[in-house]
Amino acid sequence: MNDYVSPVGQGIPRLETRDKITGRAVYADDMSRPDMLVGVIVPSPHAHARITGYDVSAALALDGVAAVVTGVDIGDHKIGPFVKDETALAVGKVRYMGEPVAAVAAVDLETARQAARLIDISYEELPAVFDTDAATAADAPALHEGFADYIKVFEADSDRNAMAIIEIVEGDVDAAWERCAAIVEGSYETQAQCHTYMEPCSALAEIDSNGKITIWSSNQSVFHVQSFVADSLGLPMSKLRCVTPQVGGAFGGKMEQTVQPAAAALARATGRPVKVTLSREQDFEMIRSRHPGKVWMKTGAAADGTLLAREVRIVLDAGAYADDSPGVAGIAALFCRGPYRIENVSIESRPVYTNKLRSGAFRGFGGPQVAIAGETQIDEIADRLGMDPIDLRLKNVVLPGEEWMIGVALNKAGLSECLERVRAACGWDAKRKAVSNGSGRKRGIGLACIPHISGVLTSGAIVRILEDGTAVLNTGAVDNGQGSDTVLVQICAAALGLEVDQVSVATPDTDGSPYNWGTTASRVTYMAGRAVVAAAEDAVAQLKQRAAVMMECAEEDLELRDGGRIGIKGVPEAEIGFRDISGFSHWVAGGPVIGTNSLAYDGPDFDPKRGYLKGFPFGKIGAWIFAAQAVEVEVDEATGRIVPLKVWSAHDIGKAINPTAVEGQIQGGIVQGLGYALCEEMVWDSGRLANPSLMDYKIPGIMDVPPEIDTMLVEDPDEHGPFGAKGVGEPPIVGIAPAISNAVAHATGTRLRRLPMTPERVLRALRG
Amino acid sequence: MEFHGPSTVDEAVSLLAADEDARCLAGGATLVAMMNADLVMPSALVSLRHIAALGGIAADAGGGLRIGAMTTHREVADAAGLDGAHALISETARAIGHPAIRNMGTIGGSIGHGDPQADYPAALVALDASVELRGPDGARAVPAQDFFVDYLETALQPGELITAVTLPPSPAGGFGAYEKFARVEGDYATVSVAAAVAMEAGRCRYVRVALGSCGPIPVRAEDAEARLAGTALADEDVAAAAAVLRDACDPVDDVRGSGEYRMMLVEPLLGRALRAAAAKGGAR
Amino acid sequence: MSEAIPISLTVNGRTHRLFVQPWHTLLQVLREQISLTGSKRGCNQGVCGACSVMIDGAVMRGCLTLAADAAGREIVTVEGLAVGGALSPVQQALLDHGAVQCGFCMPGMAVAATALLADNPSPSDAEIRDGLSGNLCRCSGYVKVVEAVRSASAGGAS
Repeated sequence: MNDYVSPVGQGIPRLETRDKITGRAVYADDMSRPDMLVGVIVPSPHAHARITGYDVSAALALDGVAAVVTGVDIGDHKIGPFVKDETALAVGKVRYMGEPVAAVAAVDLETARQAARLIDISYEELPAVFDTDAATAADAPALHEGFADYIKVFEADSDRNAMAIIEIVEGDVDAAWERCAAIVEGSYETQAQCHTYMEPCSALAEIDSNGKITIWSSNQSVFHVQSFVADSLGLPMSKLRCVTPQVGGAFGGKMEQTVQPAAAALARATGRPVKVTLSREQDFEMIRSRHPGKVWMKTGAAADGTLLAREVRIVLDAGAYADDSPGVAGIAALFCRGPYRIENVSIESRPVYTNKLRSGAFRGFGGPQVAIAGETQIDEIADRLGMDPIDLRLKNVVLPGEEWMIGVALNKAGLSECLERVRAACGWDAKRKAVSNGSGRKRGIGLACIPHISGVLTSGAIVRILEDGTAVLNTGAVDNGQGSDTVLVQICAAALGLEVDQVSVATPDTDGSPYNWGTTASRVTYMAGRAVVAAAEDAVAQLKQRAAVMMECAEEDLELRDGGRIGIKGVPEAEIGFRDISGFSHWVAGGPVIGTNSLAYDGPDFDPKRGYLKGFPFGKIGAWIFAAQAVEVEVDEATGRIVPLKVWSAHDIGKAINPTAVEGQIQGGIVQGLGYALCEEMVWDSGRLANPSLMDYKIPGIMDVPPEIDTMLVEDPDEHGPFGAKGVGEPPIVGIAPAISNAVAHATGTRLRRLPMTPERVLRALRG
Repeated sequence: MEFHGPSTVDEAVSLLAADEDARCLAGGATLVAMMNADLVMPSALVSLRHIAALGGIAADAGGGLRIGAMTTHREVADAAGLDGAHALISETARAIGHPAIRNMGTIGGSIGHGDPQADYPAALVALDASVELRGPDGARAVPAQDFFVDYLETALQPGELITAVTLPPSPAGGFGAYEKFARVEGDYATVSVAAAVAMEAGRCRYVRVALGSCGPIPVRAEDAEARLAGTALADEDVAAAAAVLRDACDPVDDVRGSGEYRMMLVEPLLGRALRAAAAKGGAR
Repeated sequence: MSEAIPISLTVNGRTHRLFVQPWHTLLQVLREQISLTGSKRGCNQGVCGACSVMIDGAVMRGCLTLAADAAGREIVTVEGLAVGGALSPVQQALLDHGAVQCGFCMPGMAVAATALLADNPSPSDAEIRDGLSGNLCRCSGYVKVVEAVRSASAGGAS
């Protein structure tokens, strides 16, 4: 036999690391094509205005300018994943400051920028609304007069600028309050967080003489790019080929359109390759952010700590266009109960249009906005009842075999173990008993639980056995840096019994890759991984079929052996290698071995008999994943600064395909969570983003994060996941803010309900 | 745009004098960032990199210290054996940005920008420093306190450049401390306090304090220093001095904090800076 | 547009004769004129650190250095760290520790870490953090980056 070790479970370095650390890895802005032009986008200077005219003559007259395109040129082709409400360049109206209005292509960046300043667009300003209260007031201007006629992919009521009203009701909250021994109620406010991927959005588009446009861009799904560029320019999808070079981070921010439509429109207008790369400032002002949220929540428990009821009203500031807002609002509604068995819930969630940057998908997808409310209320109830917060949670957490709200069955749920692991690792019981006295710097520890899902929609995979018996894997899944290429290759290699370096991974390319909805919803390992396993199994079946012919035996007598061999069961010496089989299949009989699979998420569905559900914009959603996180902090009572000292994070992940990559995902998510909790906030001043730079918008640097982050992996294999794996991408960001709020309350007795918990807000709260 | 790389101060002065829109290029950390953002586009750049006379840190016979305008933050941060309160300037340099910025940025470039959120201005006022200038009409020295005129405005006249910063001898038994409070490490200060203190028998014999990010220029209040002199720097003394200083502040509201919050930080940061400086004396 | 300035730029030991505009940054010239696209433009304001290069041995910002002002100085970019195809100790450690995710910050991070260890071969963890404090990373949470640099240092277990 051989000493083959399955690649699954090995923390191998990411496949493309060598290129990335030597500077060889190619990102979109690193590319250039012969005769390439540089494109610049002209932003709207107004938050809400009617466009009354365009004069592009001065820009076009400038030496070196090849083309200017505006909404008039691309036409009123509306796009949007849930509501088709926006155009790639504004048509008729602008609805936020920074909205793309025109684009110009020129020989170099300086010329393009100069031309952009010469484009003269006249506007008639309209009354604007900058927060959800103003947008829902009786006299608020309508942002989208034609909303009723827009194409939508879900059914929900709408009201004024609220584009959807999502409701989930189970049991009877009003009756339940009477049975509660402790009830807490509060209003919570969260901020716009910028994804701040390190690579600003970039796209290079090139058109051939048949009018087919190839787009290399930074994105989360080449198929999505193909679809929204086709929609936005009124092109058939067959006229677009979308490819993804390396992506410098995304976190949800590159799932929908960025600069691809503008680059494609400029390529079409000029007939030449055009690259559009945003400046950091424009990336802040133009793309999307996490939804600011206003949440009112009320939670009640019986004297023994059994949670009985929760009522929630969620209002998310969607900005000027719907983007992923109905989805985010729906997921916020679905997650706001928290991972607890609460029989009586009444939830309403509304995404509301305002004249600001669109809000969209961002790691956590509605979870963070409700976790700060839900997880701090659990602590407040524990406090009222004199219970330990972990004991209270353990009493109420959802267990395997139970159902989520509206009847989605939980096959596996490892949250209790996550809680126990964190409790033991952080020294919870001793630290909770320690009480900070006097004033100065006070210590406290707090915890939060996170429910999330891993899955959604569709994926495919192709595993082709090459002539020499090695393989190429093609899934079309975009690796945003989290390591999915490596993980999928590990899965593929393990399923074929090959080494990792015997499996190559294809670049996502809409001309050649099978469909993958996107790198989002913590889904690539789980969904694309399942497709890879099934495609590899299909390839193995074909290998056996060819081998049976070669070895003159029955297919069912054959088995896959490690190291790339097919052998006769029970006869160790009777075997044949992939190379021989593949040679035979390519040149003699049977044909090349091409294993394929395509799947839609097929897990448990909602149960309409269990509760009332309205306007929820998803069908089957995914496998449930859970996490528990604790943070120990020190609070400087003189300045209000919260210093995170250490973080503990336990995750129910099914199985770690690559433990090093999983740890890295968790650590990175935690640090984004620290930024969300403590310092990151996009601030608008009458429609103008006041801090569109890394100088003014601060993400945590290495000095701002605790030296120690303790990650714990709870591995209880999922029955459908590839080798038992589930996703892990999103939960790590979600629990940090509530855990810190709980830790601050433990340290100081002061409860913080607004994010970020800046020193200023903390100091004001401490001073009452 | 013209680009010049003179090798003498005189050459640089004549280039600056010949073109009102010319700008000195020192480390580039601020000017190039502004050029990249399209905020300034000078008609000419006069790089000071090749002027050897603008570099170096040297003590003079009388105990003063002269820091050439092109001395980088890192050179100031790493300067060893500085006398008493002079070490405050190193401590301040270490608080600026991060290694790359400290390797690039220079003391002349930093103060020439006149940004009250920068770190050096308050430290130089607390150290009673002077700024040496050279222009078409010759050399002059301006006390740091007068050099900073308004937000992004200094005493520099057209054609002038900064040649050095000079510190008078450290007050006897004096030590300094720089207390910086920022949203995250490496950011501009929300509030900073630079203090030079000499203690004798537990009492404050000398004190000079300046606040950064609390107004258009570094904030100093002689009455506050008078209130602290002779005290043991007890809480009530700090509180009383802070109240006087707050009256002299005129902070802005911005993304780093509201003006009101900046005022709230004055007292605790003042206390920390004074006690840190005093403790350095105690440790001797 | 003004007259381009002839300069000679020494990058990774190779001297290039180029014409640049006075406002052209070193980063721009590296990426657009000599095809060294390893140094990244993350903010163009000197904050993110993705453009970090070594100039005369010290880590600096490619985006805040004017090409004309860099003439005559020794410039090392991420492309110059690996010698003869072998990864440098810092690069090898970043690879081994799984410190690299999207990788956009990594060229700058690797350069900053290299400069740090050249100055201080056995830094403490606090010194490692200070040395990398000008390099933002949005993926990793920095934990594995510190582990990698620690292991690449003279005191680190290899």
